[in-house]
Amino acid sequence: MNAITAEKMVLAFIGCVTFLIVALLFSILAIMFIKGLPAMHGGFLFDESRDFGRAGGIFYQSAGTLILMGVTVLWSLPVALGSVLFQTEYLESGKFKTFLTQLTYILNATPTILFGLVGYLFFGVYLEAGVSWVTGSLILAVMILPTLQVSIREAVEALPEKYREAGMALGLSRPAQIWRIILPQSFYGMVTGVLLGLARAAGETAAIMFTATTFSGIRFPQSFSDPVPTLQTHILVLAQEAANPESIAQAWGAGLVLLGLVFLLTLAAWAFRTRMVMESEL
Amino acid sequence: MIQFKNFSAAFGERKILQELTFSLPANSITSIIGASGSGKTTLLRVLCRMNDRIENFRIEGSVFVDGMDVYRPGTDVYALRRKVGMIFQKPCVFPKNIIDNVIFGVRKKISKKDYPDVAEKVLREVFLWEEVKDRLGEKATTLSQGQQQRLTLARTLAVGPEVLLMDEPTSSLDPKSTAAIEKLVQSLKNRHTILWVTHQHDQAQSIADQVLVIEKGQVLPLSVPIVRPAKPASFTSVLQNVQGYPE
Ligand SMILES: Nc1ncnc2c1ncn2[C@@H]1O[C@H](COP(=O)(O)OP(=O)(O)O)[C@@H](O)[C@H]1O
Ligand SMILES: [Mg+2]
Repeated sequence: MNAITAEKMVLAFIGCVTFLIVALLFSILAIMFIKGLPAMHGGFLFDESRDFGRAGGIFYQSAGTLILMGVTVLWSLPVALGSVLFQTEYLESGKFKTFLTQLTYILNATPTILFGLVGYLFFGVYLEAGVSWVTGSLILAVMILPTLQVSIREAVEALPEKYREAGMALGLSRPAQIWRIILPQSFYGMVTGVLLGLARAAGETAAIMFTATTFSGIRFPQSFSDPVPTLQTHILVLAQEAANPESIAQAWGAGLVLLGLVFLLTLAAWAFRTRMVMESEL
Repeated sequence: MIQFKNFSAAFGERKILQELTFSLPANSITSIIGASGSGKTTLLRVLCRMNDRIENFRIEGSVFVDGMDVYRPGTDVYALRRKVGMIFQKPCVFPKNIIDNVIFGVRKKISKKDYPDVAEKVLREVFLWEEVKDRLGEKATTLSQGQQQRLTLARTLAVGPEVLLMDEPTSSLDPKSTAAIEKLVQSLKNRHTILWVTHQHDQAQSIADQVLVIEKGQVLPLSVPIVRPAKPASFTSVLQNVQGYPE
């Protein structure tokens, strides 16, 4: 067997695998659509759920998911951004920098259930915060922190050194340098990072299931110690009622909405990333 | 104005500049020539401490700019960099409009209504005003390389530096823009001390009041008058004019 045949075989193999993955992805999407669309009646998005989720819509569940995600970013972004700037702009020691970078990659690969557990033990049990949207968003914040940190750092590091040097040569102080060069020039990269972090948070169920959410009985949280209903919990609970076709249909509908949300976030992240590449090529 | 005293610089174990002791007069143009990798850029960058971000960069001895010890702990490095401006080999404009680029370094220091006047003044100084006065709101990246290089010079001048470090400022430019910049530095000379790094021997000779050669970590004056060769000088012929260089 010569090199060319070998190469052809490898290519064929890679082609098959790629095809399988794409096909799998499309069949999941197709199933989601086929199963989810029947639930999409007029008021599905904007109606309250009724009869323990068997009828009505998913308005408060969607709202709860959005609240959790928004608050999560509110906690997580300042910490991630601060640590990135500390790492790239202030830290002098290269060894420590590498160590921090490795650490964030490891954290990023850690199974999220561990974050959920640790977060629950710390915020929920030790701080006695109980099951609430605040606890849940704090846990999610810890969870998406590595994702945010890594993507924001990559955006800042992708900034061509020449911009930094041009600013430095004009006598810009470090805060001015950050404010006027680093942040504006890596803005799109950062937005991408936030959106990816959000998409990740939206996909997480395990970490918030027992710390932040409730299935029914709550619309908007009225205090810091209230739980929220979310799409994730809604889907899980309804899906367990396998004997009840209405529940299952509603679960598929909610699943489709959640998928749409993640898809939109990813699409937006991709659009911003493209923008960033264009900017840096100027 | 600029004074090196037993100054050495190294990246880790690699010594780039060794035991330099020399000084440069104010309001003059000094050209620095040398082979690629000989340390020309490094020599310029120490004058405004541009290597501070490089972890393994080491120095010994001292450098003074206008009596100020550049590497003394406690030196206001931002003030130093405003006093010692640097122009890079490749012009780097920000993806903003022309005015914003010109006033980038002084934005916080002057009031907004002075922006146009300050911009016009420095743009005139670099002979760019006539070319851009009708398109000040356009992105600076739409200018030609030569115009961009003059724009970065205007941006630096706006900060009010006394020393101008120019690191092969014309090496990425066409002959016409090169001539424009060469002419321009002559007009800046009476108010600024200029260091001009080049690898073109002709250029060094024609623009500078004195020429220094950097080789093996040493800086030597180009003391022997040059007999201009018919074809452009090669680097060896430059070195042969340096005292002590083996034939
Ligand atoms: N950041 C750096 N880290 C390590 N070595 C460097 C760095 N910058 C420059 N050098 C080395 O220092 C030497 C001098 O470089 P430089 O001053 O840029 O030379 P020139 O401008 O004369 O071409 C070169 O051998 C180069 O490899
Ligand atoms: Mg150089």
